[in-house]
Amino acid sequence: MSKRTLPRLLQTPAVVLLLLWMLVPLGMTLYFSFIRYVLNSSRRPEWTVPSLSNWRGFGNYEYVLFNAKDFWFSIQNSLFIVVSILIFTVILGLALATLVNRTFPGRGMVRVLLISPFFVMPAVNAVLWINMILDPVLGLNGLAVEGINELLRNLRDFPVLGAFFSMWPEFEPMSFRATQTSAYAVIMMVTWQWTPFAVLIFMTSLQSEDEQQKEAAILDGANAWSRFRNLTLPHLARPIAIVVMIQSIFHLSLYAEIEIVSRGNGNKNLPYLIGEFTSNNIGAASATGIFAVILANILAIFLLRMVGKNLMD
Amino acid sequence: MPVVAQNSRLGNILWPTLAWVVALIFFFPIFWMVFTSFKTDADAVKPEYLFVFKPTLENYINMTENYDYWRFAINSIITATFATTFALVVGVPAAYAMAFNPSRRTKDVLVWMLSTKMLPAAAVLYPMTYLTKNFLQIFDTHFLIILVLCLINLPIVIWMLFTYFKEIPKEIIEAGKMDGVSIWGEIKDILIPLAWGGIASTALLCFIFCWNEAYWTVRLTTTDAATLSKLIEGNRAPEGLFFGRLSAVSTAAVGPIVVLGWFCQKQLVRGLTFGAVK
Repeated sequence: MSKRTLPRLLQTPAVVLLLLWMLVPLGMTLYFSFIRYVLNSSRRPEWTVPSLSNWRGFGNYEYVLFNAKDFWFSIQNSLFIVVSILIFTVILGLALATLVNRTFPGRGMVRVLLISPFFVMPAVNAVLWINMILDPVLGLNGLAVEGINELLRNLRDFPVLGAFFSMWPEFEPMSFRATQTSAYAVIMMVTWQWTPFAVLIFMTSLQSEDEQQKEAAILDGANAWSRFRNLTLPHLARPIAIVVMIQSIFHLSLYAEIEIVSRGNGNKNLPYLIGEFTSNNIGAASATGIFAVILANILAIFLLRMVGKNLMD
Repeated sequence: MPVVAQNSRLGNILWPTLAWVVALIFFFPIFWMVFTSFKTDADAVKPEYLFVFKPTLENYINMTENYDYWRFAINSIITATFATTFALVVGVPAAYAMAFNPSRRTKDVLVWMLSTKMLPAAAVLYPMTYLTKNFLQIFDTHFLIILVLCLINLPIVIWMLFTYFKEIPKEIIEAGKMDGVSIWGEIKDILIPLAWGGIASTALLCFIFCWNEAYWTVRLTTTDAATLSKLIEGNRAPEGLFFGRLSAVSTAAVGPIVVLGWFCQKQLVRGLTFGAVK
């Protein structure tokens, strides 16, 4: 065997495995999206098995786009959740990375504490937040509000001032199990988990910043904000773009958190909707899946271009 | 190390203090979970025992009885270990070929590999269930979970290894070729010893990702191959009556991984940004 072919052969197993992994299930999804395929159809038993004779053309796509009431809501909700998480993680990430990017006692420990949430498994993250922290009665949320109310009640017993405090209503703890508020809960827990990721990447990038340029700026009398605005932020433009794109791709397929926080309360995203369809209407599930693939690809193209560009240097 | 912006006295105290406060806030939920795991279920929901209570190991001792913890933990260990091993067995030769014998298409192949990672899993949920249940009959087996975990992490593994291998001077490998060393000899005796650190951190990160995976491990298992993700998801405890025991089992599920994570925070950047941030 020649010197060039053997090394090429070494990458064949990886390529073949990934090719199968990508093409076979995706091809099936594409196929199912064009046929009538309903698991529990007692009236039309022929629809319960996949077959070309149940061809429906773009019928499933039409159904999903125009008749399935949750499709547009779940796209909107997916985007609301992803965009909110992005805004919070990038801003917090920038602030924290600048904060930690200096020498001070215990810096290593601070880094360790900050990065930890990223390694918590998503299921634990969701169970921990929705129950022990956000629960309106037993969680810290409920306990804190109850504590404030308790304080308020005690203040009412004071002479003179008590009259003032008795005009105040007691606070009501916010419940995070309704449709809209459980989206907030998801945003909160994912922001907690992924801010460390943003911090880590921004910190890595800050370390390659041109220090001399910064010192020159100080000598020229530039204040901290203008140094951040005019030197650091442009330097971080690329890492910010990377953080935004990678997170978008991960969070569009957010599942465990949604499943745990919002079962049955109407808060859903695209993957969750696909999961719901999958229990019965496979045709609709597959059409929705194809939409999800298209959405992810739009983002992936930008990311991959960026990654590919500086790959070989 | 940055020295600028440290010129004011006040800043020298204020900013580090703020950094510490923020770090402690971020760590607080994890601390709270560990803290609560030493309370009994009854104490855990009583405000009067919020901070002061009688610590107990009861939740950990009863973990096997309450949750059958070890069955799930062993499944997690088995699947993550084998998936990581297979990903390396397939990934090391591939990354070696791409780093030292690149062709015109190598770059495209690498980018394509990453693109498989970006397909939304939910889009192929039913085909995967159908294939593994009705057709291959490997649903809910360790084999299936190992295979899936290996495949979803393979792009990241190859990518990370590639960036590590690229750092090795080509001349060293060439020298081996001159001496008539076979390809396996090159990989075994030259490449692996040189890139040992990189391979180890790739493996560590892959293991962590396998352990925390929460889509396929939940949807493609019922009992036999169910991992810790499935265990926790199945015990979401909406009434919140079992905070103590739930905290204990959660701590046991994430504790080892968080500690492992501390050791590979630097490599995380490489693994998750595909070398795009340096």
